[in-house]
Amino acid sequence: MNFILGISLILLFGVLSGKIAEKIKTPAITAYLVLGIFIGPYAARFVPMSVLNASGIISNFALSIIAFSIGQNFSFSIFKQIGKQVIWISVLAAFGAWVFVVVGMRMIGLPLYVALIFGAISTATAPAALIMVIRQYKAKGKFTDILMGVVAIDDAWGLIVFSVCLAFARKIHFNQAASMAQVIIGSLLQIGLSLVMGGIIGWMFCTFAYHIRNKRDLLIYTIGTIFLTAGLALHFHLSVLLSCMILSAVIVNIHKESFRFFDVLQTIDWPIYLIFFVLAGANLEIEMLKHIGLIGVVYLIARVVGKCIGTYFGAVFSHAGHEVKTYMGIAQMPQAGVALGMALISKSVFPELGSMIFTAVAATTIIYEIIGPFFVKLSLYKTGQIQNQ
Amino acid sequence: MQVKNNMQTNLISVTRGTTLSQLLDLFSSFHSFPVVPVVDDDNILLGIVHIQSFFEIFKPHHHDLLMRNPLSMISREPTNIFDVDIEEGMGLLVIVADIMDTKMVKVEQDEDIKKAYDLMQLHNREAIPVVDKDKKLVGIISVFDVVMKIFKEKGLV
Repeated sequence: MNFILGISLILLFGVLSGKIAEKIKTPAITAYLVLGIFIGPYAARFVPMSVLNASGIISNFALSIIAFSIGQNFSFSIFKQIGKQVIWISVLAAFGAWVFVVVGMRMIGLPLYVALIFGAISTATAPAALIMVIRQYKAKGKFTDILMGVVAIDDAWGLIVFSVCLAFARKIHFNQAASMAQVIIGSLLQIGLSLVMGGIIGWMFCTFAYHIRNKRDLLIYTIGTIFLTAGLALHFHLSVLLSCMILSAVIVNIHKESFRFFDVLQTIDWPIYLIFFVLAGANLEIEMLKHIGLIGVVYLIARVVGKCIGTYFGAVFSHAGHEVKTYMGIAQMPQAGVALGMALISKSVFPELGSMIFTAVAATTIIYEIIGPFFVKLSLYKTGQIQNQ
Repeated sequence: MQVKNNMQTNLISVTRGTTLSQLLDLFSSFHSFPVVPVVDDDNILLGIVHIQSFFEIFKPHHHDLLMRNPLSMISREPTNIFDVDIEEGMGLLVIVADIMDTKMVKVEQDEDIKKAYDLMQLHNREAIPVVDKDKKLVGIISVFDVVMKIFKEKGLV
């Protein structure tokens, strides 16, 4: 099967699985992932190797656009809009999950760089399941508002934590002779340069953007700049995620009508995400599942415990009510898109243990997506956001 | 061809505190819902209300934040307005500030109408508000105003 035929099958089966997901009230990402497993090399083999081998390029394509879109959250007006409580809770919940997962993974004997990566991936929370529950049960109230803010913003923290951990993990793994000081300085330099490069491109982007007069040019200019940033980051071994995020963070703070760049992306990005998630599923090595039992269990538990404890302290520091302290942690259980993206990057960066990281994250994503909505529902019910259910 | 010589100045504007009921009453006899500017007491332009703004009523709080995350996927689905939860009293409880669009495209009155037209094309808008140098609302220009101007010049009207 040739490359184009493979992509066409992914797209068309993707539409079908999206429709089925809608009927059985499951987030589309889960459907794409499961589809990927079914048509992947370990089952029906509809995905040709040429497409599978392009997973790395397609992930970088998709993730640079995702990081660019998420970066627009870093504006002063957004921080004012979401408020102190959401910021405290989201930051500490991410930090809690990171600490618990890193410690958990170290305790079962995984190398430090793998533990750091698992910890970083555990910070992200998927919003799709939450929105579904809110819609289905017409939940509303203060608790729902804070929770929506938390899940909206925490992918942004997650991407930062992941980029920083990836920089450290790379230095630890690939420069084993390096001292701790060398690891720290090397990683910080890589992070700093990513920020500077994204910032400079963002500033140049805004300067020239005023000459763009029509939608066609706007789309090409925006995509071109995102890929320029991602491409340069890859070339100089910098962080694609961080540089794309800072690119949009600069744009959103200095361009008066920056929303136009983000809106225009939405006209074309969907097929890229669809292919990205189906390929994520196709990359899952079913054979490996039996070897990751303990890792999967520790990850599943440590992430939830970390989220709950982090949320508790976030609620204490921001003077949130008793309900937020007790029930908001478990509502952040679902994990999907961003976590899978991070796992795919890890798979391409670390040839030896990357596949194990990816398979563990993909498998736990499916478990979280199945049990997550139940806990979201429970927390909304216990806090009185859902009536008469 | 400055914007100020080709815009509509006979405006209906609302304030942040205008209720949903008042808004609906105001335009119930119109053919379709227009682009309505929202201003403060000093007539400074704060945002606009258009037909899409009404769908904001049915979306959860912070929904706009999730729209910024492409992986929240589901948030892009159109609202099913045939199955929405509308409570009594929402007409008075919901105000313009809750639904107005602050992602604003506006044009200054001294600009050329070509620029106004480009902006409307770029953002898929049929009409945009016009402001003076102090950001005060002075009019509205629509694609139709631009078309009329051209037709007039060609002697069609």
